[in-house]
Amino acid sequence: MSLGWSLTEVAAHLLHHEEREVVLGDLSEAHESTWHGLLDVLGLVTRRQLQLWQNWRPWLSGFGLALPSSFLLMGASVGVSTAYQSLNGPRDIDQHLLFICQVLLLAAWSWSGGFVVGKLSRLTLWASVLLCLTPCLFCMVRFRIPSLSRASLLLFLLPAVVGALQGVRRIQISLKAGFALAVSVTALMVFMCSSGRLWFVNWSLIWPVWYIVSTAPHASREVERS
Amino acid sequence: MLGEFEYVLITTAAGLGGQAYGAAIREQIARTTGRKCSLGALYTTIDRLETKGLLKTWMGDATPQRGGRAKRMIRVTAKGVQAAKDFYDAVTRVSHGASWVVNQTGGSAG
Repeated sequence: MSLGWSLTEVAAHLLHHEEREVVLGDLSEAHESTWHGLLDVLGLVTRRQLQLWQNWRPWLSGFGLALPSSFLLMGASVGVSTAYQSLNGPRDIDQHLLFICQVLLLAAWSWSGGFVVGKLSRLTLWASVLLCLTPCLFCMVRFRIPSLSRASLLLFLLPAVVGALQGVRRIQISLKAGFALAVSVTALMVFMCSSGRLWFVNWSLIWPVWYIVSTAPHASREVERS
Repeated sequence: MLGEFEYVLITTAAGLGGQAYGAAIREQIARTTGRKCSLGALYTTIDRLETKGLLKTWMGDATPQRGGRAKRMIRVTAKGVQAAKDFYDAVTRVSHGASWVVNQTGGSAG
């Protein structure tokens, strides 16, 4: 198998499964040169991607969620790391409680953000990932807190990746579970806000959990239909 | 009204009948028009025409010639035939009196 054909097959993975089969079959049958085939496939991939961006979902997912949330979640990650460093032994229950709340909020924000990104833009996920990772790289390069590792910026990534994968697989969240999550996150945020530990801009991280709630009834209807 | 390439695609698919699928249509278009048709242009146009109800597509059998991969078979619907006929009639009407058309039918251009 030539390099050109291997690249063509890799490029064809950006197409739907059925279309990939059809296109690679057409190229095999036409006996075209592999490089012409590669250009042809790239042309089709480009057209398909442009079609996807005519919809509002990839824009909301990339520029309304992945890009701004990555900055806020990096800030929250550093907040958790700093809070962990300043824990003063097991007797300081208040501090431990606040720390646990921060960890839970970071996990919930990251997971719900990733889930909504994956659900909204399955086929343009690469763009959302790029829009999330670019600020991460930027901030890692400029990170200047001697007592903390650069990795502390990225605490949010694991739950976000898990959420994104579940969103891409269209895992169904029931209305009850979604509502319980949204109410818990809101309550935690109110509690953190009242204790002066929540930056007001972080309130913008609340919408993905409520988006999950607002789409949950539709999701359950889809299950009934199928 | 159809676009030029949409008309070419529908007419070619109709001409190929039961053998109308991507690779065959591309080959036929290249042979009759002398222009290569890209995969991108072909499949996005097929999707558009299918959305308009002018074509119907389905997955066909896999063949060894295609490396065991399936074909996307294409059939022109009655609505597609009518749209192609309307396009042809419009082109015929608008071409009436054009020098190249008169010359072709043996008359003089004036």
